Amino acid sequence: MAPSKTSQPTQSNAVLSLWKAYNENTSTRLKSVDAFLVFLMLSGIAQFLYCILVTNYPFNAFLAGFASCVGQFVLTASLRAQVNPQNRSEFKEVSPERAFADFALGSIVLHFFVYNFLG
Amino acid sequence: MWARWIVPALLGLVSFVTAKSSSGNSVLVILEPKLDKDNFSKFFSGLEEKGYELTFRAPKDTKPAILEYDYAQFSHVIMFAPETKSFSSDITPQSLVSLLSKNTNLLIALSPKQTPVYTLASEFSLTLPPPGTPLISHFPQRDDPATVIPVPVRPVTPNVVSSKLAPVWFSGIPFAYQNNPLLVPILNAPAESFASDGETDSGADAVVDAADKGGEGLWAGSQMGLVAGFQPVGGARATWVGGVEMFSDEFFQKELPGGGKPGNEQFAADVAAWTFQESLVLRIDSVEHHRVNETVPGQVYTTNDQLVFSAYLSKYNPVSSAWEPFSGIQDMQLEFTMLDPHIRTALPPVRGTPGKYSVTFRAPDRHGVFKFIIDYKRKGLTHLHSSTVVPLVPPRHDGYPRFLSAAWPYYVGAISTSVGFLLFSALWLAGDDRAGSAKGKTTKTE
Amino acid sequence: MTATTAYQVPANLSPTTVANTSSLLRIVALALISGAAIASRLFAVINFESIIHEFDPWFNYRATKVLASEGFYAFWNWFDPTAWYPLGRVVGGTIYPGLMATSGVIYSALRAVHLPVDIRNICVLLAPGFSALTAWATYMFTKEMKDESAGLLAAAFIGIVPGYISRSVAGSYDNEAIAIFLLMFTFFAWIKAMKTGSAFFGTIAALFYFYMVAAWGGYAFITNMIPLHALALILMGRYSSRLYVGYSSWYAVGTLASMQVPFVGFQPVRTSEHMAALGVFGLLQIIAFAELVRSHVSSKQFQTLLFASVIGLGLLGTAAIVGLTYKGWIAPWTGRFYSLWDTGYAKKYIPIIASVSEHQPTAWPSFFMDLQFLIFLFPAGVILCFKQLRDEHVFVIIYAIVASYFAGVMVRLMLTLTPVVCVTAAIAFSTLLDTYLNPEEPEAIDEAPKPEASTSAVAPDTSSAPTKKQKKAAPPPAGSTLAELVTKAPGTSKRKTGVFGLDTRLLVVANAIGMLVFFVWHCTWVTSNAYSSPSVVLASSNPDGSQHIIDDFREAYYWLRQNTAEDAVVMSWWDYGYQIAGMADRPTLVDNNTWNNTHIATVGKAMSSSEEVAYPILRKHDVDYVLVIFGGLIGYSGDDINKFLWMVRIAQGVWPDEIQEPNYFTRTGEYRVDDQAPQTMKDSLMYKMSYYRFAELFGGNQPTDRVRGQQVPKTGPTLDYLDEAFTSENWIVRIYQVKKEDPLGRDLKTANAFEQGKKRKRTKPSPRRKAIA
Repeated sequence: MAPSKTSQPTQSNAVLSLWKAYNENTSTRLKSVDAFLVFLMLSGIAQFLYCILVTNYPFNAFLAGFASCVGQFVLTASLRAQVNPQNRSEFKEVSPERAFADFALGSIVLHFFVYNFLG
Repeated sequence: MWARWIVPALLGLVSFVTAKSSSGNSVLVILEPKLDKDNFSKFFSGLEEKGYELTFRAPKDTKPAILEYDYAQFSHVIMFAPETKSFSSDITPQSLVSLLSKNTNLLIALSPKQTPVYTLASEFSLTLPPPGTPLISHFPQRDDPATVIPVPVRPVTPNVVSSKLAPVWFSGIPFAYQNNPLLVPILNAPAESFASDGETDSGADAVVDAADKGGEGLWAGSQMGLVAGFQPVGGARATWVGGVEMFSDEFFQKELPGGGKPGNEQFAADVAAWTFQESLVLRIDSVEHHRVNETVPGQVYTTNDQLVFSAYLSKYNPVSSAWEPFSGIQDMQLEFTMLDPHIRTALPPVRGTPGKYSVTFRAPDRHGVFKFIIDYKRKGLTHLHSSTVVPLVPPRHDGYPRFLSAAWPYYVGAISTSVGFLLFSALWLAGDDRAGSAKGKTTKTE
Repeated sequence: MTATTAYQVPANLSPTTVANTSSLLRIVALALISGAAIASRLFAVINFESIIHEFDPWFNYRATKVLASEGFYAFWNWFDPTAWYPLGRVVGGTIYPGLMATSGVIYSALRAVHLPVDIRNICVLLAPGFSALTAWATYMFTKEMKDESAGLLAAAFIGIVPGYISRSVAGSYDNEAIAIFLLMFTFFAWIKAMKTGSAFFGTIAALFYFYMVAAWGGYAFITNMIPLHALALILMGRYSSRLYVGYSSWYAVGTLASMQVPFVGFQPVRTSEHMAALGVFGLLQIIAFAELVRSHVSSKQFQTLLFASVIGLGLLGTAAIVGLTYKGWIAPWTGRFYSLWDTGYAKKYIPIIASVSEHQPTAWPSFFMDLQFLIFLFPAGVILCFKQLRDEHVFVIIYAIVASYFAGVMVRLMLTLTPVVCVTAAIAFSTLLDTYLNPEEPEAIDEAPKPEASTSAVAPDTSSAPTKKQKKAAPPPAGSTLAELVTKAPGTSKRKTGVFGLDTRLLVVANAIGMLVFFVWHCTWVTSNAYSSPSVVLASSNPDGSQHIIDDFREAYYWLRQNTAEDAVVMSWWDYGYQIAGMADRPTLVDNNTWNNTHIATVGKAMSSSEEVAYPILRKHDVDYVLVIFGGLIGYSGDDINKFLWMVRIAQGVWPDEIQEPNYFTRTGEYRVDDQAPQTMKDSLMYKMSYYRFAELFGGNQPTDRVRGQQVPKTGPTLDYLDEAFTSENWIVRIYQVKKEDPLGRDLKTANAFEQGKKRKRTKPSPRRKAIA
């Protein structure tokens, strides 16, 4: 009883503190990246739900649309990881400019395949 | 100036009497020396009037040969040599069978004596009775010997001989039919006849025994055949006649027991006409196939296409000796086959176009190499067979429906992702305040 | 104190000179390696002619001809009505088009620069060309593992090693020709992506993975190796953002790209072979998210909660995949791959897979024949990887273990083992040479141990001896330690361990060079003797030693091509289908694609039944000619009588009531073709076609079958339903024509008896119902 009661506020406290820490510690650039990520995730979830609930008839279209969201998501997440100043030590060979160039190239290739597969 | 109209008149006169066969005019008559040609003068002159060229030879003559260097020399062969025991070297059972593959028609007469022709009959699925057992009937009452029998003509196979013929006189042997769909029975024995030893009637006990055994070995009744046709694969025709006297002048004129002329003359003419491919001769002139709304036949068709198949049929008209379009077949079928028929549909005649049979159907959903097959077999009529191979391919990669309405969320999703990416990149590049100036890009200070 | 050197090294050279010289030497070495790789694959072209070999390449060649002559879209939509008559084959959707597309592109490119090379020559020479590229890709891959000198060694090894040559000689126009290059390059791109954490290399890896998926069915190997590597790194606790970036970019782009190939279609999300990649992808996302959150939160409770939820989600995902597989939404492992785990599976359930000779387990000697001394350097190399154990070494270790298992299961998979053996052997060999070529000697006095010299680069040139000319390679170039030595001021590096004196060094290095010479010698010999036969043309030697060419196959195929109607259907066993289609250009019933087991079983049933039973099958399929291979006259042991039991087994799988395998053995269980052969065997169509008129060759003596070593009966079989149409010079290929139906509707046996003058038995009218007395 007692632990659960205290854990509830600690949990909500934890979430709030997480949100506060996030807000303070991330730059605007990273926040815009995160916003894009959230948008992609919502779009992907929406398509997935449509596929399960309504129909998966043009399965290739579903795969193309869903893979577009997922692919773009991971590419953006990779960009975020590479640009994040905290990760400088890991990415010795990849400067932020190079990271963006990689991201753009990967996205273009991804979109090419998506539109080929879509219809 | 009278030369101008004499030639067409002569030609017209000629065509008025000619009824040529669809497969040629040359007839070889192998007549054994025992039989006199004049005894059959009415039959042979009837043939010559129709336009056939008759060549006579004896069985032992070496010329004219029926086959030379594997080519058939005559279009038709009449074998009136029922009692000959030895033939010249070019007439063997095997060579006669090979003639049929070369579109030569045969008319063969049998007799109670056993000759090499006996072995040939069994190849045609006819079982001949033991030697020396002609057909005997004691009914109807008549003055002639029991072996000379008036046989009522019942239409076993329609249209081969004219209907409503008077009974024909017959003297010879019967034969039993084995199970072969290529046989065309023309004249069957009367119900009260049986095959037995010539005059003595001593075989009657054997007949009774056979009847008790359930019919095995029973040479009696209307199940026996007297004149039978045979339609080998390939279109030629062969007719087996149980006795040669049926064609003789004597039988043509002999009066029936109940009075009246016999129908031998007409019967013989009809049998000859059928055997020599004058009557009941059909052919498929051409077939064509194309998609609905097109006229050119396609190299390949796609599954689920609407296909139109047409066949053009002709029947040979012996009177005008020409092939005329024929729309009289109501039960023709078309099969669209790949190992087994996937589609089997009627091929009806088209009203308005004589000779054309057409059907429209949807190609099956299965791709593969299909054949349009017409396989029309009726007794007496020429067998019609046509097979056209056509590949059926699955739809091309761009033959499927595109921009499906059910997929719009996915289209929206993909497009929104691309748009988002472009916006994001623009924002990123535009907002690059850190290293933008060092790289020389124009920056907007935030 | 100056460090002593065992031998003189030049001093005071500038670093750029050294760098330039070494890179020039590397380029020259790679060029020579490429030259050797291409040259050693040309034995067949020089000995015989520029011809497509074996069986499968003939189909690829036909497909490429369609692509070259009619364009890409015609090829993409190509429906072949002459294969698998009358079912046809949708070629566009059932092949891996990478090989044909590559040839098509090269053909168009050459034509665009006005070099009209015949498509056949492009196809024949594609494999050697790509083997040069494979050598370069292996060089790049090994360079990531160790350094450039090991890379050059690996390139040299894979350039001439027989295990790879066997599938890439000139004329062997098969998928493996380009697939191994793509394999190595994809792996190289993956290692680079993982090392640098760059999405660019991830995208490159994805693009080459797509090319590989388009080229070879063995792409499933990459699909499972890379996730296995990522999983191993995670379990070792080496998760890093670089791994995340590399793997995610590869998976996202690569999987979507791989689904563009119609033959693959939706398999990456529907079959078990691809679930590992998907699972690791999901796991990586979860872990990345957890790491991200963890970096923002310090509360320990939250961290343990997070940890627990990560594990929970991981287990949930696995359970979901297992559940979907159980329910059937995700297909279980297909027979081809499942038989790798359960080796007895194929023989029981899928006899077609079991009957292919390449699918048999590998015998021990073939390891040595294909790899020579590399196979015992291979474990040494793996252990050296364990010693270093960077992330990329984990990959090599996993690849080595998995490939060793597969190579032991199937002869065909020796090919996937060969690259990793070359890489690890190169690492081991290079380390050995490093130690013994390093001129530094250790200090005799006990001093503070200096750090070991970094990797030195020595690369003896082993790219010598192309076929006939015995060119010896250039002397070994200098390396980086030496580079340091010559550029730095002396006296900076001192060592505790090392080798004294010049004599040991010379001995070891000479021995190593000797082994390399033997390696080259062995590879060349194996290539020229064992792997360079086109198998369409056989060669044997006359008593006086000159070569005797046996060209029966082509003789028979060209007879078919010139003497039969263009749409005449030929039935033969499936081995020869592609060759008949390629050389004789006639429709066939079954071919090497073996996609329709029932159709093959129908052919098997026709071959193993009597004539009366087989004839309706032949007529139903519109077969005009039947072709059999018979080696009994000259001793060619790959003939159809030896394969006959497989025909029986496959037919038995579909018609167990009509065909039973024990009926074809004698009572004692032997497989005999002489007078002890059982009646079923003697009546079978295959036996009759093989031995028809065989006894006439021996002129009254006892005819002997040289392959089985048995004496066939003097009165040979008779054929009623077939006519002998053609028999080749050495009786290897025999073609029979199927007779049409008898005009009189008889069965052909009776018709034949009539033709020969035999009289029929007298029959009576058949019985009817009993007459009521």
